[in-house]
Amino acid sequence: MNEILNRIAQCVEFGKINKTSPYPPGMKDQDGADELTRRALESGVKPDEILENALIPAMANVGNKFSKKEIYVPQMLMSAKAMNSAMAHLKPFFQSGETKRKGKFIIGTVSGDLHDIGKNLVAMMIEGGGWEVIDLGVDAGAEKFLKALDEHSDAIVGLSALLTTTMENMKKIVTAIKEKYPASKILIGGAPVTKEYCEKIGADFYSPDPQGAVNYLKQLVS
Amino acid sequence: MITKTLNIDYKDLKLSSSMIESVLGYKEGDDREYVKSLIEETLVESQEISNIKAQFIVFNEVHFEADTKTVGINKIKFQVGKIVFGQVKKADSVAVFLCTAGEEIGVRSRNAMKDRDFLKGYIFDIVGTEIVEAAADLMQGDLEKNMRDSGKKITNRYSPGYCGWDVTEQHKLFQLMPENYCGIKLTPSALMDPVKSISGIIGIGENVKNNPYTCRLCNQNDCVYRGIRERMKQKV
Repeated sequence: MNEILNRIAQCVEFGKINKTSPYPPGMKDQDGADELTRRALESGVKPDEILENALIPAMANVGNKFSKKEIYVPQMLMSAKAMNSAMAHLKPFFQSGETKRKGKFIIGTVSGDLHDIGKNLVAMMIEGGGWEVIDLGVDAGAEKFLKALDEHSDAIVGLSALLTTTMENMKKIVTAIKEKYPASKILIGGAPVTKEYCEKIGADFYSPDPQGAVNYLKQLVS
Repeated sequence: MITKTLNIDYKDLKLSSSMIESVLGYKEGDDREYVKSLIEETLVESQEISNIKAQFIVFNEVHFEADTKTVGINKIKFQVGKIVFGQVKKADSVAVFLCTAGEEIGVRSRNAMKDRDFLKGYIFDIVGTEIVEAAADLMQGDLEKNMRDSGKKITNRYSPGYCGWDVTEQHKLFQLMPENYCGIKLTPSALMDPVKSISGIIGIGENVKNNPYTCRLCNQNDCVYRGIRERMKQKV
């Protein structure tokens, strides 16, 4: 069993989606995360084990390598796609409740800001960390976040901004969320954001990279 | 008041795979064969779908208020912040510009992301940015040439949302342009549609300088202009 889990993890870490995908060149014509996950489930491996022992550790390795600048965004995105191809097989088990996610995470780029690459990277890594992600997209204001929290009051919230000028909208959103849901946890990130700014606006956590966000969430549920 | 529309052909932008690879962070010796093939594919597609437009209007009625870092153009006041103000304060006229790569490239990026083809979406996004910035470079070059003929110089270009200039001021900037100028519309939260568009101002005068972006004064680490500055430094 460990053998197939190790192979799934390797496919996710190096971005091997399926047999026909040409990337990475060193794994050409080999089965990818897609085929291996299907085969693992067919041979009786529990979906929980695939999630906990293959996908989550593989994505954690990807996140750590990215934090250390050992890989670039494209490699991270290929890993995310490989993870998605594996996740597609686990989806029915999430829906039936047989496999539980670690929790819910609401994420969006704040109002006035259209930049979504950073937000998407964080969303992918958090999904790869075993969380259900509710993505509000870009240009999301306080109303949108509150509506999402009304539906998923136990969710942790993530705010992203790329512009120094739109970063100010984070404050309005944090204030609105904390007023209605004082116990909620909010993490923020984006190029101009700092730990000091996070403290100033009353958010709970600042992460300079996606893996930091995953680690924070992990710590909240441990 | 001078108004000029530029017809920019995709080929004039001289985009290359190696430029995009460099924006993605790749350095000499990095293995990137697969990414390179995707970039080349995206560049071919982008040539077919991009709809590049660039226009500028030069306003002669300008004034500057140092205390509030305000630039007045045709009686509309812009609080541009200290970085932009410092660069344009000696101008005796200002060009307001709009530039777009067209609608489709942003749509392809979003659709690829939705289909969870993240890398393709990301490359489309980067290529779209490079198209509109390269088109703006050509527009800026054209303005510079026009002004040089009358003994004037131009500053670098500055856009709301960057260098400390609030993005919401884009609403005021659009008041200076004819409706549907360049086919670009503004959303209530000051975002441009098509997304791969840029707007801004360029100072013109005998006493202005085209300085590189003063990124050391700004904390926006992932800013497109910081990237451009870094690449310029590498070329030198």
